[in-house]
Order: sequence, then C-alpha cells, then structure tokens
Amino acid sequence: MSKLSGFHGGWLLAGAACALSMLLIPRALAEDAGNLYDTLVDIRLGERYFERQCGRCHGFDATGNDEAGGPDLTGRLTRGSTDVAIFNIIRDGIPGTAMLPVPENVPDPQVWQLVAYLDSLRYDPGSVVLAGDAESGSDLFWSGSDCADCHMVSGRGARFGPDLSRIGENRSPDDLLADMINPQEDVAPRWWRLRITGPDGVTREGYRMSEDSFSLRIMDDDENLWSFHKDDLQSYERIEESTMPSYAQSLSESELDDLVAYLFSLRREEI
Amino acid sequence: MKRLSLLFAILLSGALVQAQEQQFQTVITPAFTPITWERLVNAADEPENWLMYSGTLDSKRYSRLDQINTENVTELEMKWAYQIPVIDRAETVPLVVDGIMFITEAPSNVTAVDARTGGVYWRYDHDLPEDLRICCGRNNRGVAILGETLFMSTLDAHLVAIDARTGNLLWNTEVAEYSSGYSKTAAPLIVKDKVVTGIAGGEFGIRGFIDAYDPETGELIWRTYTIPGPGEFGNDTWLGDSWRYGGSATWITGSYDAELNQIYWGTGNPGPDWNGDVRLGDNLYSDSVLALNGDTGEIEWHFQFTPHDVHDYDAIQIPILADIEYGGEMRELMLWANRNGFFYNLDRATGEFLDGDTFASVTWASGLDPNGRPIRVPGMAPTYEGVMVSPPIVGATNWYSPAYSPDTGLFYVTSFDGEQEFFKRDEDYEEGERYTGGGGRYTQPMDAFYSSIRAIDPTTIDIVWEFPIMPRSSAGITTTAGGLLFSGSADGFFYALDAETGEELWNVSLSRRVHAAPMTFEVDGEQFVTIASGNVVFTFGLRD
Repeated sequence: MSKLSGFHGGWLLAGAACALSMLLIPRALAEDAGNLYDTLVDIRLGERYFERQCGRCHGFDATGNDEAGGPDLTGRLTRGSTDVAIFNIIRDGIPGTAMLPVPENVPDPQVWQLVAYLDSLRYDPGSVVLAGDAESGSDLFWSGSDCADCHMVSGRGARFGPDLSRIGENRSPDDLLADMINPQEDVAPRWWRLRITGPDGVTREGYRMSEDSFSLRIMDDDENLWSFHKDDLQSYERIEESTMPSYAQSLSESELDDLVAYLFSLRREEI
Repeated sequence: MKRLSLLFAILLSGALVQAQEQQFQTVITPAFTPITWERLVNAADEPENWLMYSGTLDSKRYSRLDQINTENVTELEMKWAYQIPVIDRAETVPLVVDGIMFITEAPSNVTAVDARTGGVYWRYDHDLPEDLRICCGRNNRGVAILGETLFMSTLDAHLVAIDARTGNLLWNTEVAEYSSGYSKTAAPLIVKDKVVTGIAGGEFGIRGFIDAYDPETGELIWRTYTIPGPGEFGNDTWLGDSWRYGGSATWITGSYDAELNQIYWGTGNPGPDWNGDVRLGDNLYSDSVLALNGDTGEIEWHFQFTPHDVHDYDAIQIPILADIEYGGEMRELMLWANRNGFFYNLDRATGEFLDGDTFASVTWASGLDPNGRPIRVPGMAPTYEGVMVSPPIVGATNWYSPAYSPDTGLFYVTSFDGEQEFFKRDEDYEEGERYTGGGGRYTQPMDAFYSSIRAIDPTTIDIVWEFPIMPRSSAGITTTAGGLLFSGSADGFFYALDAETGEELWNVSLSRRVHAAPMTFEVDGEQFVTIASGNVVFTFGLRD
C-alpha cells in the first residue's frame, strides 16, 4: 500500500522536473521582451528605492562611493548591459561580494522599477538628435582648431588633456558643450597642475598625474615624467585649474555644435 | 664543471635549510596561558601581548614597547604577510596572546596564526545567510578573549564563542533577528566574568542596546537599551512611537574603568538618519556616551553629544580614559573627538562636561554651550533640495581608533575637513528595510578636501601639530613608548611619525586602503607591528 502506483509516480516525477526547470530558468526570462515597468512613475519609484536601499554603497546619486567601493552606475555597467542581466544582479546579488540580493519579500515589479531608474541614468545615443554635424566637427577637431594640440583620440593627438577616444560614453552633449565653454568647472584632479621646487632647487610645473600622502608624480610641459617624495621638496603648490581655454568666443555656435556631434560620436561600437 | 654545480647545489640547499629554520624558529605548540580577568585589567603590564581590541581597557592604544623607536624605525622591514582568502576590506585589529595572533576576516571568520611567521594554526568559517541586512560592507573588527575562548560578533547578529586552541565552535547565540535589520561587526569587550557587546543596524530602524553574556554558556545576563522604553527617563524625547525604530546602535567597542566599575560605550545616530521630522525631540540616548554599571548594566550617567541629530553624526568613537592634570588638579577624564567635529573633555566619574571645541571644519554648529550642548546654526538641516554642511556624513572622524600617549600627553585623531550636500526624504518604517530618510552627495572631488593626523593637547584643546595625508583616511592610530605614532592612509601607506613633533620618520606603500588600526606586540624578545591594508595583514619588525 505504501508504494505509489506508476501513474502517480510519473506525475510526481513530471512535477519535480517542472519545478527543477523553473529553478534553472533565470527568473527574469519572462521579461526578455523588455521592462514592463518603465513609465515615469516607475522610474521615480525606482529612484526612491535606490536612494533608500542602494545609495549608501553606490552613492545617493548613483555615482559611486569611494569608501564603500560601490561602483558608479551612471555610465557603462561592466557586469551586465541588458535589463535582464541588471535585474538578476539586483535580485540575486553577486556572490562573494558586498553586493547582496534584495530581500525576497521585495516583489519583482519593484526590482524592475529599479532597473528602469538605472536605465534612465543612461540613454540610447542613437536617439539623440544633435544640431551639429559630426564629420564637420571631426574636420574642425583635427585641422581647424587647436584641440589635437592637447587631446588624443585613438592614438592620434597630444598628451596635455584627457584622452577623448571614448568621451561620448561618459559625457552627454550638454556636458560636452559646457566643457568647451566653461572648462574651469569641475576640473578633474588628474588635470590640476603642480608647481614644485625639487631637492635640486629647480622649479618644475606639470600635470598632476597622481599624488599620495608621501609622494607625487607630474608630467612637465616637455612631457618628462617626474616622481618626488614630498619631504624632499623645497616647495609645493597645487593649482586646481584647467589649462584649457574657453572656446565660447573663439568658436561659433555652429562650430561648437559640430564639435559636440563629433565628440559625442566617440564611443565603442557596442554601446 | 659538474663538481662546481654540485657544490653550488649543496651550498644552496644548506642556505635554504638555514632560512627555513630561521623562518620557522618558533614555538611548536600554542603555549599561551589562559587569559584571566586580572591579566586583562593589567594588560598594559604585558606589552608583549595585545589582549583586546584597543589594547587596554582604557583604550589609550598605547604600548610600553620601545624596541622600535624614533632612532631605528627606519630599519623596519616586512616580516610576513597573511592574505585573507575572502576578498573584501579588512577592518580587523588582531589580538596577540603569547605568540599566537587571532585575525578576524570578512565576512565573519577568524584565523589563528603564528605571530612570528603568519603560519596558520586554524581557521573558523561562520555560516551566514545570503540575505543579510548590512549598511556598510561586510566587516568584522576583531575578537575578545577570556580564558581559552575567543568571542566574535557576526554579520547575522550572533555572538559566537570559539576555542582559541583549535577554532572549534563552543556556542553560538542569536543576539537579535538579522532579518529585522540587526547585525554585528565590533569586537566584544570582556568585563570581569561577562562578554559585553553592542549591535549594529542604525540604518534599518532597529532599537539599539548593549548586552552582557555568560562566557561559559552564551546566555544573556543583562540588556540595556540605548533608547528608553515607555515610562523610562528619556522616552519622551521621541515623538510618538518613533523610539521603536530610532536606531542608536552600538557598533564599536567601549571601554571600562575598573576603579569606578563603569563601562563606557558610544551610541549611534537616531533613525531615520537625515529626516528628523518623525522623531522630534532630543532622541536620547542616540549620539551619546553611556556609563553603565559594570555588574548590572544600569545606566549611571549619559552625555549626549548631538541632540536630535539629522546628519548621521554617530558617537561611535572609542572612549579614551586618561587621568590628567586638568584645571590645576588630577582629573579622571574621558577624551572624545566626535564625528560631529567637536572634541570633548568629560569627567568620567560623573559625566560632567568640562570643555570642548572644534578640531575640524564645522558649519552645522557655532560652538558648545556651558553644558556641552551644541549651538546650532539655522538652515543646516537636510532639505529635499540639498544643503551643504560640514562635516560630511562620514564625519570629522568616525569609528577609527584614536590614541593617547601618556609620554607626550597628546590625544591623536584621524580627522577630515570636508563638506557634503545633505538631502532629506520621506520614508515609512518597514521591518528589515533601510530607514535613513535621505542621503548625501559630494560636489567636489575627494582630493579637494583635507585629511590629517591631528595631535590635540586635551588640557587646552589646541592642535599641537598635524600631519597631512590624502583624503579620506579611515585608519586608526597606535602610539608606543618608543616615541612613535603608527597609522595608515586611504592611499595605502603604513607610516610612523614622531609622536612628540609629528615629524615623518618612516613609511611604506602597501598599495591598498587602510581601514584598520595598527597594533604592536613582542615574541621572543623581538617587537613587531601589524596593520591590515586592503585584504592583507602585514607584520613588520626591525632588520635582523
């Protein structure tokens, strides 16, 4: 009597197989067609959830946290580029790291709202309509202006400013225009200048390649690399300004638009 | 040619054997004698050991060892390194007992190694659930020891007892329900025959407490809540039921005065952190120091540094107990550089506020009144749009250990001059969910700010010297009778300064951020100093 009939056993096996297959199938598979929770309200709710649950490690504005080590989520995501991949990371966490899964009682739609918020921090570059012409901007960059005297793109150009080979991935068209009109706003510490007098009594000035508590490294205007212990220096001055001039007056509005279009096109193809 | 090669091979193998003998020239079996309460009370008298998180019960983090000193510190070299197998950051301060070092690891593990070589005796791995509720990374800061038993907090809010000779689990007590937002990261403190320990979870709407457990059985002996319940003094400093979810966590180790029989423990922020509208009132005993009776846990006095905090200025600093000539007489003081940017002198017998002043950039308050209560600057509470305030959320200092040297009479603290936009958000409490009511955002690159080691004369609260380091350090400090101050930096340096003058004497790049405090010990007559950087524990000693 205790032995199950073949009929019942078969159903049990089928049920077990079905349950197993459900376990093996990624939970987000049903949403492969796309995120169903991406209205403006969903994005806003996702943002609120993010600020509350994720901001401590990833930064209140999702730009990362130096101490907690949570990465910047506003640019290219290295662990998952699709909505499904992002969903699964949030749902399941990343084993062996501080990225814990969201609690099980958080419903899937709420996780999708979070995905929608993270998506809202990026955009499809193909959907952006620009006033300028990228080809004209390229001509201007390489031969009609002094851009390439300082910047490098794909190995061409100079070393006195940020490499712009992928600048379109991290800066919006508005950001790029602002960078050219007002370069003194938000100067990255890598492009501050240091004026130092070394143990040899010679004063040198250069780009601040890196600085730590006990030493610093610069590249001078002749592209020489120098490294010093701070306690060997006779003097040390930090200039938290950019060497880039403003192009608000020297370039026309349409030329600036063309440059923006060119710079915005500089990205890896899969982005 | 063959004979030459053979001779070379023989010479080489001889050198290897000699090197191995030197490297493993140490005790073969653990020889430590059980740690009695008397040994812990007199821990300063056996500087060859580091018997508790802060070195001694008064938490001065001062060692009487002087073999490594201002004259020879430049001869330091690395003796061994222990790589923690779980990749995370290490906030551990190891203990050393008679030549054996106990290192805690993320997430909640502990390893015993030979303190001379780093060779592993045993490792305890704590099973953890996958759905932990932790605010700020997978940290563990250290163990406590009594007898032959280690006591460790775990991220799932348990307290475990581990056999110090084998790593075997002796008992495992649930302190609180992790799924409600409770966790544990700090080293416990042994007080007589009890294991005293705090709780974390101030960003999850917990109700904080300090517990004492029986070291033999793991049974709870007393619990003192850091938020008073209905009918108790201070409950009316919370609007409505907000006391139930008010945080006031106790996530760093306290101190103990055997003469006064008082335990001193700091408390964390009220919750939600950045929205005080739902918890109007002073919110006792958040952001306070509590003096508890060493036997019963009853609160004997309290001092609140930041009433009705809305900036996350936890009073999670380690109380330094020092007897100092102050105002013309010897006083039993408690020295405290707070996350809120003020330094305080308190009478630790009574909790009386003696004086205080800023030690870092502060914009939220213009000073302290005669009772030590901050004089608030209007318009500094977080808003929906954001308001710039100094110190930022991480504070002018934070949980990282300060130090006090009786030789110099100076108090040392890792300080940060920064600012941040504070935001307020409306949130309802949900069990096990974050409950912070806002957040913060830097508007400048970190390198634009300023960090330093500051040496403060507690009798005048003057900054006697400061040593700049790159922002933003989260390393603790230790001083020694060798006239040295050891600390680390955010850019991965381990260094020694002259404790009297702040002069840089020695540094080495360990490459990864230092989140821990150094400690020092001696084995077989040789002094060592140990620091965790990144995921590695490094031990240094003088060149042979």
